[in-house]
Amino acid sequence: MTTMTVAQLRRQSYLSLFWLAAREALRVTRLWSQTVLAPVVSSLLFVVVFGLSLGNRITHVGGFDYEVFILPGLVAMAMLTAAYANNSSSIFQARNDRYIDDILAAPMLPWQVDIGLTLGGVLRALLIGGALTAIGAPLLGVPIEEPLLLVAASLAAIMLFASLGVIVGIYAQSWDHHSFVSNLVIQPLAFVGGVFYSVDILPSPWVELSHANPLFYMVDAIRHGFLGASDVSPLVSLPITCALAAAMFGWSVWLFRTGHKLKP
Amino acid sequence: MPGENGTGPPALAISALTKRYDDGTLALDELDLTIPDGAFFGLLGPNGAGKTTLINSVAGLVRVTSGSIRVFGHEALGDGLEPLAARTLIGLSPQDVNLDRFLTVYESLLYHGGYYGVSRADAARRAEEMIDVFDLRAKRDTRTTRLSGGMKRRLLLARSLLHEPRLVILDEPTAGVDFELRMELWRYIRLLHERGTTILLTTHYLEEAEALCEHIALIRNGRIAALDTPAGLRERYDATSLDEVYMKAIGATADHVEAV
Repeated sequence: MTTMTVAQLRRQSYLSLFWLAAREALRVTRLWSQTVLAPVVSSLLFVVVFGLSLGNRITHVGGFDYEVFILPGLVAMAMLTAAYANNSSSIFQARNDRYIDDILAAPMLPWQVDIGLTLGGVLRALLIGGALTAIGAPLLGVPIEEPLLLVAASLAAIMLFASLGVIVGIYAQSWDHHSFVSNLVIQPLAFVGGVFYSVDILPSPWVELSHANPLFYMVDAIRHGFLGASDVSPLVSLPITCALAAAMFGWSVWLFRTGHKLKP
Repeated sequence: MPGENGTGPPALAISALTKRYDDGTLALDELDLTIPDGAFFGLLGPNGAGKTTLINSVAGLVRVTSGSIRVFGHEALGDGLEPLAARTLIGLSPQDVNLDRFLTVYESLLYHGGYYGVSRADAARRAEEMIDVFDLRAKRDTRTTRLSGGMKRRLLLARSLLHEPRLVILDEPTAGVDFELRMELWRYIRLLHERGTTILLTTHYLEEAEALCEHIALIRNGRIAALDTPAGLRERYDATSLDEVYMKAIGATADHVEAV
């Protein structure tokens, strides 16, 4: 083998990134009944129970039928929890079984390893969000008023939670840590982040507290993409979501660059 | 020190390598080591001497405290593309089994090739080749979690060789492996060596090291205690076997450490 040029090394590292992303995608698709089908079914059950059944007792929220109002929030919640859960479990498993060493020893730059591992959660979230939208939107008559905003807000929020999953997967010492963040941080914040109601109807100080919840801005931006209406302007919610996503991605890249918690 | 195969750089040039773990343990202490290109090199030492830390440092799996590692002239430590050139040239068969539980035998090899920048067609061809070489054909489409210990060891070796590295690092490759498989593995590793691949081997089987290695380094307390050919070591320590050399060299170092 002759010495590789800089251009060849760079090209090779992108090929390595592609294969790592393909491996993460394979994990998602091979376990599709757990990774995609189960969250889609459980979200649709929320639509049936809260929207079509109990929703009949609620006239309108924010000017929309209740089942129309909650679908965007349910799509957001399903995507974000899946992006997190996928990456935290995949990386914790990789650390636990030590096959992450095969990846860390490979000729990839730290940010490429991070991206490769992050994309599994992104793919899973997009499959779930796409399936829920494809089934729920025509069924309930939910419009997509601002598709570009919907795509941008979804990608930023997914990236944020996929990166959070990477970080927790690296720091976690047991499966309990991974579940702790999911059950005691993400799920409660999602429930009080305006998935099932408009935070504007809350009394003070709950409305102000809701505005301190980062998930509120993500749910609100995604809802604006669907309905064209939201509690706060997307000019506020989208930049906040993007800034948080950038910070979380930066943190995860730092972990791979330094080897902190990954290498002794 | 130039490579043995010509005037090029050595396969591995380690200079003043130090690794102190977060708990304060000094695993490598200003260690210097040069392995010529094309050598069959043995690294021997007791448990905790620093063998695996040294190997993992070369493979980029340890946060090195200080020092330099060059692989065929490429600096393996630090940021940027230079360490990637070094890593491409290394194939590591680790001491502990670390196979991807979601993949089959064939996929493990294929994806490893991908991680090392091998094209899909070449990775697929090499994967089939390695499956035959390591007698894994019957288990080709079996998930790695369902393999026996011996099969897992074969797959680890096959994986380390898939991208045709110039420096193959074998960390206790025959631990827990039956005699027949051990002979098969060594036959193939010898063949690789004859074709010019540099081999760095750690093993607790001293007779194995004596029979295979052209150069042997004895490591103790994170430093090289002795380094020579097997014959040179026997002569230096006035010993009839490598076992005796090992006891004298490692024991002498231990006595020296106790005296200090």
